[in-house]
Amino acid sequence: MAAQGGRALLALCGALVACGWLLGAGAQEPGAPAAGMRRRRRLQQEDGISFEYHRYPELREALVSVWLQCTAISRIYTVGRSFEGRELLVIELSDNPGVHEPGEPEFKYIGNMHGNEAVGRELLIFLAQYLCNEYQKGNETIVKLIHSTRIHIMPSLNPDGFEKAASQPGELKDWFVGRSNAQGIDLNRNFPDLDRIVYVNEKEGGPNNHLLKNLKKIVDQNTKLAPETKAIIHWIMDIPFVLSANLHGGDLVANYPYDETRTGSAHEYSSCPDDAIFQSLARAYSSFNPPMSDPKRPPCRKNDDDSSFIDGTTNGAAWYSVPGGMQDFNYLSSNCFEITVELSCEKFPPEETLKSYWEDNKNSLISYLEQIHRGVKGFVRDLQGNPIANATISVEGIDHDVTSAKDGDYWRLLVPGNYKLTASAPGYLAITKKVAVPYSPAVGVDFELESFSERKEEEKEELMEWWKMMSETLNF
Amino acid sequence: MQAVSEAKRGRMGFLWTGTWILVLVLQSSPIQAFPKPGGSQEKPLHNRELSAERPLNEQIAEAEADKIKKTYPPENKPGESNYSFVDNLNLLKAITEKEKTEKEKQSIRSSPYDNKLNVEDADSTKNRRLIDDYDSTKSGLNHKFQDDPDGLHQLDGTPLTAEDIVQKIATRIYEENDRGVFDKIVSKLLNLGLITESQAHTLEDEVAEVLQKLISKEANTYEEEPNKPTSVTESQAGKIPEKVTPMATIQDGFTNGQNDETVSNTLTLTNGLERRTKIYNEDNFEELQYFPNFYALLKSIDSEKEAKEKETLITIMKTLIDFVKMMVKYGTISPEEGVSYLENLDETIALQTKNKLEKNVTDNKSKLFPDDNPRGKTDEPKGKTEAYLEAIRKNIEWLKKHNKKGNKEDYDLSKMRDFINQQADAYVEKGILDEEEADAIKRIYSSL
Repeated sequence: MAAQGGRALLALCGALVACGWLLGAGAQEPGAPAAGMRRRRRLQQEDGISFEYHRYPELREALVSVWLQCTAISRIYTVGRSFEGRELLVIELSDNPGVHEPGEPEFKYIGNMHGNEAVGRELLIFLAQYLCNEYQKGNETIVKLIHSTRIHIMPSLNPDGFEKAASQPGELKDWFVGRSNAQGIDLNRNFPDLDRIVYVNEKEGGPNNHLLKNLKKIVDQNTKLAPETKAIIHWIMDIPFVLSANLHGGDLVANYPYDETRTGSAHEYSSCPDDAIFQSLARAYSSFNPPMSDPKRPPCRKNDDDSSFIDGTTNGAAWYSVPGGMQDFNYLSSNCFEITVELSCEKFPPEETLKSYWEDNKNSLISYLEQIHRGVKGFVRDLQGNPIANATISVEGIDHDVTSAKDGDYWRLLVPGNYKLTASAPGYLAITKKVAVPYSPAVGVDFELESFSERKEEEKEELMEWWKMMSETLNF
Repeated sequence: MQAVSEAKRGRMGFLWTGTWILVLVLQSSPIQAFPKPGGSQEKPLHNRELSAERPLNEQIAEAEADKIKKTYPPENKPGESNYSFVDNLNLLKAITEKEKTEKEKQSIRSSPYDNKLNVEDADSTKNRRLIDDYDSTKSGLNHKFQDDPDGLHQLDGTPLTAEDIVQKIATRIYEENDRGVFDKIVSKLLNLGLITESQAHTLEDEVAEVLQKLISKEANTYEEEPNKPTSVTESQAGKIPEKVTPMATIQDGFTNGQNDETVSNTLTLTNGLERRTKIYNEDNFEELQYFPNFYALLKSIDSEKEAKEKETLITIMKTLIDFVKMMVKYGTISPEEGVSYLENLDETIALQTKNKLEKNVTDNKSKLFPDDNPRGKTDEPKGKTEAYLEAIRKNIEWLKKHNKKGNKEDYDLSKMRDFINQQADAYVEKGILDEEEADAIKRIYSSL
């Protein structure tokens, strides 16, 4: 009786369900419109990821949805506005969103800097949703990543350009329309050209890092800088980014510094001091992207020269010289190592292909994220345990130093090997330590620096001691 | 012993026939108990709301979108696999034809089935050309079914009367001991608006009668008291009047109401089919004293603008009441349970109403969003609100799961609410959220 009663109640509940539905449906006519929309979304949706192009409103909504789903690990913010007033939105994923936890490295992905290179923009939206989903599913890799990293994702640095490109009728988008920002500025040629300075310094001596002094003043007064460029520069200066990637389209390769040739020629391999780790980083991306790393892949266009491509990677200048690019600006003005990833032969491919681009790139995107946990990391403090910000950490044999952040924390990406690390700061005595670095994870090396005055005090005490001993011995 | 259980089984089968059908829903809900709005379940209120609402919408949407497709609830209807999609199509086709010609008929005995239906061929899923089946030009049905001795044929040419059909259904139900057979057909018909509830009532009565005969017959063969089933039901029926008085009153109230000519046909899917008996009117609402929330809901609906909806709601309520009455009558549930169910129903209505109102508000506000998107405007706001709701739901789910290891109690909802409010405001300031969106989000959280 009970069982049957239960089944009757099942039916009753079904009736209730109907009641509820009708209450909920309102005046909406059931049938075609809602079902049609759902059908369309169902076709392209997968676990909240809708594989279609997102215009600015949809981009915003997509990020808001991720935030709403993952409020505990996400935060949306904006680094500024485009020329036409669109927010340069970033979604941050970490176990303590909005907060730099001492010792936790910061990562960024930036897409769609050229407005008509659309795949990166979409991939980053998919990535944000994917990270949220996987985190909630308990995916160990993702959980670990989010707990140990602060991940910043900016799907579009040039939303104005994207709107222009996306508004073009027809399937084929123009190679150029929408590339630059609303002022016609190519953002990837708009950054202060620090390559020139470093090349001079190489020859004549000078700093090998943080080449843009008096930064804020220069940036704000420079009329040639687009608002998007300025916003990025401030962003780079505010957050101690360690690793970054800049997503483009039009080819299929992972490109690393330097982008500009030393001699000024059209193309020649121009390695930076960290060529070894950059090759490794670029490979970490390309090797998980089957078409990108396919040695037999024909070039995107028949007459393309991809002779510089090795394993889906290339030195920037060896491919072709790019002055004023964002990638090199990162390396030479901050501690951040950035590569440029070209994701697609077609700059604005058909929407139906987005899903397959996601499939091709999602492992790469995660693999590249994980690269941040390599090399050496730690804290630089004084003898009292107080953090020393802006201390210099140099590596013997590599002519590029990094600096410690506000909490004294630093991160130094290195390929496996034996290194001597030196930490120094004005007013402190430098300390050198030997480190054996594996592929990963990062080795922890902390420095406790003694300040000059402390040393002076010590020496004085030593002297007093010696004097006391002498006087006792010699009896005067 | 066996005879008793057989009789019992038969009676159960009969009772099953007598239980009421699903209105407008194809699949039964997985809820295994009396529906109680939120409070007394294991899962706390807000989770249940959020997870209950979407499945409904999805269910219905799927039902609407996949009208022709058939999906079986996996857990409890084993006997239905033989009952093919093809037969449903036949049935539907037949009904369509029949209904077109039967607008003004008031016959109590009219059966919605015509003789194109062939229940026995349920197993022959092969070799049925659906286009042929569904081709209405092939139908020769022009008369009221009962008075038409000639003209109605099965596809294979043999004539089949209404009684035969009812007989076949009853037999099938009896054989499979599964009233789900009946449910499936009738719910599909109702869903498509091809029959009204009154007609479904009638059909049920007819099938029930035949089934009862079958049971009696079988009972006789086992040399049990032949009228045992009936006597039991009679005694049950005797008990009924006192307890179900409220429901009966309501029912009568509905029956005696005047015909409101301005109210169009209730089922949104039917086209101009006149309802046979139950006609509703504002004056009858005082009967709904037993359903204060439902009453309030009806009052809140604007008669002119949403007359259809209003009548649909009344119909559903009435249907549910009938359903419960029937179940009590046939002893499936006790009268107390029936009353309790209806009380719970009212509470649930209150809940659903509240959710619906919120949804409506957010939907309406969504429509005001500036939309520079080439895709359709009506699609977008709904899509966005849905997406946000879904995201919030997932968040709540995860937070609850995640906090289980931490605290014994549930995570702090009020803290969450404050946090969300704060964030939403901050986001509006920064241009990350629209004000309307922020309001909607805050509202959703405050309703939890």
